[in-house]
Amino acid sequence: MKMAEILKNRQLQIAVMALAFLLVFVPYFIEVPALEAASTKLITITAIVNAVTLILALQSQVRRGLNIVQRRQTGWYFKAYMIITMVLMVVFAFFGRETGPYHWVMYAVVNPLSSVNYGILAFYMASTAARAFRARNTQAILLLTTGFIVLLYQAPLTGAYAPWLEPIALYFGDTFGMAAGRMFLISVTVGAIVFGVRVLMGKETSVLGVGKEEV
Amino acid sequence: MATPLFQVPLIAEGRLIGLILDILIFALVIYYTSGDKHIYIRRVAGLDAIEEAVGRAAEMGKPVVASYGLGGFTYWTLAGLAILSHVATLSARTGTRLIVPTGGSTESLIVRPVAEEIVKTAYTMEGVPDQYNPDDLPFLSGQQYAYVGGYVGILQRTRPASTIMTGSHWSDAMNIAETSSAVGAITITSGAYISNVAALACASDYILIGEEAPAAGAYLSDDPAQRASIRVQDIFKWIALGCIILGLVLSNMGINLVENLLST
Repeated sequence: MKMAEILKNRQLQIAVMALAFLLVFVPYFIEVPALEAASTKLITITAIVNAVTLILALQSQVRRGLNIVQRRQTGWYFKAYMIITMVLMVVFAFFGRETGPYHWVMYAVVNPLSSVNYGILAFYMASTAARAFRARNTQAILLLTTGFIVLLYQAPLTGAYAPWLEPIALYFGDTFGMAAGRMFLISVTVGAIVFGVRVLMGKETSVLGVGKEEV
Repeated sequence: MATPLFQVPLIAEGRLIGLILDILIFALVIYYTSGDKHIYIRRVAGLDAIEEAVGRAAEMGKPVVASYGLGGFTYWTLAGLAILSHVATLSARTGTRLIVPTGGSTESLIVRPVAEEIVKTAYTMEGVPDQYNPDDLPFLSGQQYAYVGGYVGILQRTRPASTIMTGSHWSDAMNIAETSSAVGAITITSGAYISNVAALACASDYILIGEEAPAAGAYLSDDPAQRASIRVQDIFKWIALGCIILGLVLSNMGINLVENLLST
């Protein structure tokens, strides 16, 4: 049997996953120095494997991109641009990341463009609010009032002209907001653990990139 | 300051109860997934709507856009991939074009091949491997906001009938959900972090909140025993609720029993 076929064996994949899980899970709860050392080593190995996987993924992207450029498919010039910038950034990184061309591209091009996109978020929020915040019933009125108070509290001028809003807004955040936040955290944590157990039992096959019938 | 009630040799300080609860979860999930248990599970509107969303796309002859998040291999991403698997199966079955924008972070490069494999497998399993188009899983960028720009562009150009955005989407989620809504698509999202949930709930037609997304794989499964494992989540939510109420009452009486017990 070829090595690739052995590595594609689902039972083997699940066994490796279970072993890796135990090596991290057990030392967290049980103090055995030998296990802790093994756990640290495993985490280091994972980081190295991740880095190598990243190189493979980049290689795959470049190959796919070149294929699209060669076939002159729709939007091929974007792929060409991506490959050129990718190669340029790799070359730039050799001159240092804190100064030089790499830093300039990040500082003067990527960051401002990302900030613009982030800033647009405010308009998206406003348009969502305009659609959603309509006082159709009691719940919507409560939501509208709370939203209005918290929004006003966040505005810089409110502190000067309506300081009485601060305790009300803080009350909403410290009571209802915090309670909802913790509810969210508890339910997500429990959901994640149950999900993890199903993965370890080999029930969630989709995470291995396979369908149920293929197992 | 909470003080542990007692210390067990070999067990790390403050982690005994956590270990017991974890073992209990393991045992209960194994119990519920073994055998053929038919247990009532409440309907999750967001997950039920996926079929409707893909069906709508098939009827309109428009594509479905589905994404699994922009992070690395976190449980949010894994939950997103489980949902993607279901969406891909439905799309292959109904002959609907499925577009999966990928990227958003450096770590997402590692997840991408798994997503490709999932979609490809779904088409193969449904007997239409020739309908699988790798170009419909474009890698947009390794940067979050460049990815958003690309995603929003896809929504504007293709005008999909449905957008199913799950997994770890952060501040970018609103841009995508609102654009999806603006182009008239059914928008199904999952809130990966608490600050997003309220705004996403307003922007989406359906939203998966809290544990609903991690439960998707089991919920959408045909196996009743798998679905029964979701009951464990409900049991532990009741335990958490009990601890909160008991802790509240006792701490108001000046007794820190629950706090100390949970610190043991």
